[in-house]
Amino acid sequence: MNNIFKIIIQFFLKWLAKIYLWRVQPYVIIVAGTTNRHWIKEAVIEELKNKGLSVRGNRKNFNAEIGLPLSILDLPSGEGSFSGWLGILYKALKIILSPYKSAHIVLEMAIDRPEDMDYLLSIVRPNAVILTTITMIYRENFEDLGEIALEYRELVKALPKDGLLLLNFDDQRIKDLAKFASCRALTYGLNEGADYWAENIKKITMGQQFEINGAFIKINRFGKHHIYAKIAAHAIRSEKF
Amino acid sequence: MFSRTKNINLSPIKTIELLASKIPDVVSLAQGIPSFDTPEVVKKAAFKALNRGAVAKYSLTYGLPELRETIEQKLAEEEMFYDFEKEIIVTAGSIEAITASLIAIIESKKNEVILFSPSYTSYAEVVKVSGGKPIFSNLIEDDGWRIDFNDLKKKVNSKTAAILFCNPNNPTGTIFSREDLLKIVELAGKKNFFILSDEVYKDFIYNTHKSVFFSLAQIPELRKRVIRIFSLSKAYAMTGWRIGFLHSDEENVKEILKIHDSLVTCAPVISQYAAIGALDYGEDDLNKFRHEFSGRLNLMCNHLNNLKNFFVYQKPIGSYFVFPKILPTAYKTLGAKQGDSWNFALKLLEKAKVAVVPGVAFGPSGENHFRISFGRSEKDINEAMERIKKYMQ
Repeated sequence: MNNIFKIIIQFFLKWLAKIYLWRVQPYVIIVAGTTNRHWIKEAVIEELKNKGLSVRGNRKNFNAEIGLPLSILDLPSGEGSFSGWLGILYKALKIILSPYKSAHIVLEMAIDRPEDMDYLLSIVRPNAVILTTITMIYRENFEDLGEIALEYRELVKALPKDGLLLLNFDDQRIKDLAKFASCRALTYGLNEGADYWAENIKKITMGQQFEINGAFIKINRFGKHHIYAKIAAHAIRSEKF
Repeated sequence: MFSRTKNINLSPIKTIELLASKIPDVVSLAQGIPSFDTPEVVKKAAFKALNRGAVAKYSLTYGLPELRETIEQKLAEEEMFYDFEKEIIVTAGSIEAITASLIAIIESKKNEVILFSPSYTSYAEVVKVSGGKPIFSNLIEDDGWRIDFNDLKKKVNSKTAAILFCNPNNPTGTIFSREDLLKIVELAGKKNFFILSDEVYKDFIYNTHKSVFFSLAQIPELRKRVIRIFSLSKAYAMTGWRIGFLHSDEENVKEILKIHDSLVTCAPVISQYAAIGALDYGEDDLNKFRHEFSGRLNLMCNHLNNLKNFFVYQKPIGSYFVFPKILPTAYKTLGAKQGDSWNFALKLLEKAKVAVVPGVAFGPSGENHFRISFGRSEKDINEAMERIKKYMQ
């Protein structure tokens, strides 16, 4: 895809996604941060589905300037083909004219360079935000971790007064963003002191078991990141649904 | 001098390729290289990383976290659950993954590694490089190259450190059934050895449902017993990028990591970024390759059917190899020594100018066979098979 063509596609996708959101008015949960967005998104979708809610999330890792509108419209990529993208735009038009779809959308949002967040927020505004970590990954285009935090600050500020902000208690830079929220801000993590926290964590043959605020949980996944995902999803479900 | 290396041989595939390179106009169906170029989405990911200056430095020894996260996601789609932080190592291709694993596993009193015969030529050498002793156990040709458990039971003992196999198998293209794999698990439990499953061809399964393929790494109870290896070389036409990965329980991985660190520090970083592109966006290309190979398999079989007085073969289910048996008439017609697949391959190279790999290179029971790749282009396949036909008829 050459640059001019990319700009044209990006422009149309942005506006088609905006029209879709205006028309459907879904409840939008945004998962952002430098790591673990995918698993938190998946865990939230699973929790909401278990509650019987209509919910969907990003296709693959479609989470940036082209991918995010595609995820909102629930469309695949047109890859490198001109005709492929024309087909996608046609489908997008059909979608925005078709009857009401998912009531909840869980979106991973990825930033690559300063001011990316402003652009992504010009497409979609969140009802709830889950922030994961600010780490050295993807730091190439940023001066330092503080500059990355500035991007997430914009996301926090975009939340409405009745929104919900969920912050990783174990990442100080993330935790510090609470002061920029005009809505309720809660924390999740592996340490007591978080509003939602996991304890008595044990690796078992089939996965991991732990307690979230006293509730016994068992998952068939390995690694700490899945525990974080489960706590965040549990918190969202408990607080909002 | 060189006491460690004197019993280690250069891969017969490379030897044949070397000989072929000295003869003009040779068509090679020897090496397992796909004829395709690396997909554009993969190259684009590599260029992007290169242009933003992200590839000049080492990555973490485990590999780039974002790549390992992607690998974890892909594994989960196949019902394999591993922690990207502690249970996945990105390696310089599958052979480095196998070498690092074997060096970690092999001990002085537990140094035997079971290999199926026939299986990939480099396995035996890698076992030797790692300080182990390769022990061959036969596959039964007349039973679809199934495992001969009577033979296998005789070969495993307290000195067995591991069993290493390729599934789908190279060179036979057959798949080991779930039932047979579970029998291996039973033996491994009794004799306490590791299972190394190299699944580099798992994306190339034809004319049958993908679900016939089963990986032991899907069973959580076997996480400490099984080390699964995968490479992007074949699936995404990336043989030159040298990129793959292994996964197992963290208990095993933390030991293998020490060897991986000593061998290569980390996998090539540009290839790691390319691998993210492949795993995230390469699915359409992979499907295209599979479709193309499926057509080439039929083409190859049609050619071999026309040579049924000289070769008999079993149609492969997976990989991109056929492993025909050489009948006495074929040796005779070509003027090759009866029962000597090396001599057959050399005569074929010399007379027909077609490079194939002699079956004996894949283990003792590979003798009287040759491996032929349909990973090459249709044009190469047609040209090579026409040349063979010309000399056989």
